[in-house]
Amino acid sequence: MPVQNFETFNTTTDKTTTTTLLHEVVPLTGTIASGTYGGDAVSLGSEPNIKNYSHGMFQTVYDYPYLSSSANHIFDITMGYDESSVMSASAYTQNSKKINMYNQFSQVLLGYTGSNNTTEIFESDLSFADNNRQMKEVFFLNFSRLITKDQIKKGTFSITLGTGSWANPFHATSGSVILSDVSASSTAGTNNKGNSGQYGVLYSSNGADPVLGAVGHGLVFYQAGIVVLTASLFTASYSFNSGSTATVSGAAGLILSQSMISSSISGNCDALRHRIGNISYNNTTEINSTIYFCRVPSSKFNYSSNPTYTSGSKVRVKTIASDTPVSYITTIGLYNSSNELLAVAKLSEPIKKDPTNEVTLRVRLDY
Amino acid sequence: MAFLDNSGDIILDAVLTDLGRKRMAQGNFKITKFALGDDEIDYTLYNKDHPSGSAYYDIEILQSPCFEAFTTDNANINYGLLSFTRTDLLYLPSLEANELVADSPLFKTSSVYYIAANNETGTALTTAFGDTKYWALSNSTSGRKIVIESGLDTSEITADSTNRSSYMLSTNLLDSKYSIYFDNRFISSVVTPTAASTFTNSSAGEDQVSFTMSSATATSTTFLEDYSAATAVGIDNTVYFYSNALVDRSTISVMAGPGGSATAVNATIDSGLTATKAASTNVKYTNYGTVGANLFGDGNTYDYIDTTLYIQGQSTSAMLQLPVRLIRRAS
Repeated sequence: MPVQNFETFNTTTDKTTTTTLLHEVVPLTGTIASGTYGGDAVSLGSEPNIKNYSHGMFQTVYDYPYLSSSANHIFDITMGYDESSVMSASAYTQNSKKINMYNQFSQVLLGYTGSNNTTEIFESDLSFADNNRQMKEVFFLNFSRLITKDQIKKGTFSITLGTGSWANPFHATSGSVILSDVSASSTAGTNNKGNSGQYGVLYSSNGADPVLGAVGHGLVFYQAGIVVLTASLFTASYSFNSGSTATVSGAAGLILSQSMISSSISGNCDALRHRIGNISYNNTTEINSTIYFCRVPSSKFNYSSNPTYTSGSKVRVKTIASDTPVSYITTIGLYNSSNELLAVAKLSEPIKKDPTNEVTLRVRLDY
Repeated sequence: MAFLDNSGDIILDAVLTDLGRKRMAQGNFKITKFALGDDEIDYTLYNKDHPSGSAYYDIEILQSPCFEAFTTDNANINYGLLSFTRTDLLYLPSLEANELVADSPLFKTSSVYYIAANNETGTALTTAFGDTKYWALSNSTSGRKIVIESGLDTSEITADSTNRSSYMLSTNLLDSKYSIYFDNRFISSVVTPTAASTFTNSSAGEDQVSFTMSSATATSTTFLEDYSAATAVGIDNTVYFYSNALVDRSTISVMAGPGGSATAVNATIDSGLTATKAASTNVKYTNYGTVGANLFGDGNTYDYIDTTLYIQGQSTSAMLQLPVRLIRRAS
């Protein structure tokens, strides 16, 4: 039944708004990308948690076989190159689709250059004006909103990649690199380009590349939740992809350039997944809160319409009239001017209210 | 709903109600005021005789576990906390149904009040019950109605004019208006008293209760789904104790102490539910009630819907729930 005793908020003093950033650690083990559920009997590219599409433009990585309703979308993976890349030629496999993918990411994340409406080329540094460190052949990892939430927290992203041979990509001495955005923070180390928010540079932790001030190997777009990795990371791999062709080292497989031009997008994605170790970052959820201060004056809410409050019309908590009335608060209802109950707050234990005390209850609504 | 963890610091669990989310979607979510409730509290646990002293009177109440918040609009604060300026109130009025007055009160039977959909049903009910006092005719302004009294139901205060003034009027505990809530799927309106009605007795103690009834205007509500509200006037309840009375006031009033006001209510059943037995059964009887029931072993069958009327005093928030059976003779 409707409540009839209200206390009106003073909108100047009883209401305030705050913004809070919540972060969660998102650890993605390499087995998810490289085929958790495949086992030895399932070949790379046929794992039940990897979804391929008939259009062949990208792959989706799930944390569980994707046909199950329990599966969660973790990230998408695709690759592409700019049409000015040396690997671009109309005769090559899915050449136009690879260019289209590159252009799609570029126009969304970077925008267009000058007046001739051509898309920008990715660079592994913070300045696009100098055209240095251009990445014309890249892999893209698009992390789902489910785990990224509002954005990737700056300075927390890292990915371990195997740059060794196909047979042993994480070779102990020559095969592993950790890329991270260690120079990025909420106040420095990032830049804006286009309309997709801020990005930071992924640096290698290897000794050859000093972390700060060193050259980068990729970008992480924080709000978009997209990581761009240069394919040149794997230039030194004798066999980037699987294959029967003998490479220059004599090992069976495809070197990077062979794979980029002769393998499909999904084939190259399979090769990259084979080389993904752990991925880790913190996501960010922005919570906007309105805080209502429910100030209960000493002279109000000291009685109750609870049916047990009286016995034979006599207030149970009193013996004589001069005894102070007492009530116990368990619930706060927030109403609009039409007496409609819009929000409810419950206390974990009753609070005693009588005319000798005033209570301020702080109710926070998160959006 | 689970209980909230009450083992440590006091926490506050806040949620938007269904209506709050709806208003937010509509873009008119604006909180302007608050109210407090204590639905979980059982005040009978307040032990004024606790052997350890006054600090322990409410120890059991303070240990009451509280539920998580409900998102339904009407399940959170059924009985709100009240703000009365005076701190010396020892008695609060309650509402009770009255079957004592002479002016055709409706009697409850088998725990419900019967509202007959039509005269044909009423005639059958008279035969079944052996009396006309157990049913009221839908939308009737001259027949039986549920009579409700407010007042102090305590023998500690004599029901005289002085005490009524002291305990009811000067304390602002007089309900001069009542809100009546009813399910608008089955009841289209209610019949309530006009200000010309009286609820009093003579100095000789004779019953001078008289109701003049008319249809009330119904408005929809948002705090209880499918319910509408109407306002009923509260007539001064001046049935007093007179020491030389020939008729005891307890034969008129159900309140042992001073009365506050009184009102009455009859329901107007939705027109789709009032057809005689010649017509087929309305689907609402099938969906929400019982059809073709041989309720009384009188050779007749009946369709009926059980619902609840809520009566609430607008000054004191005192409330009374009335179980009502809307009944139609089916054969």
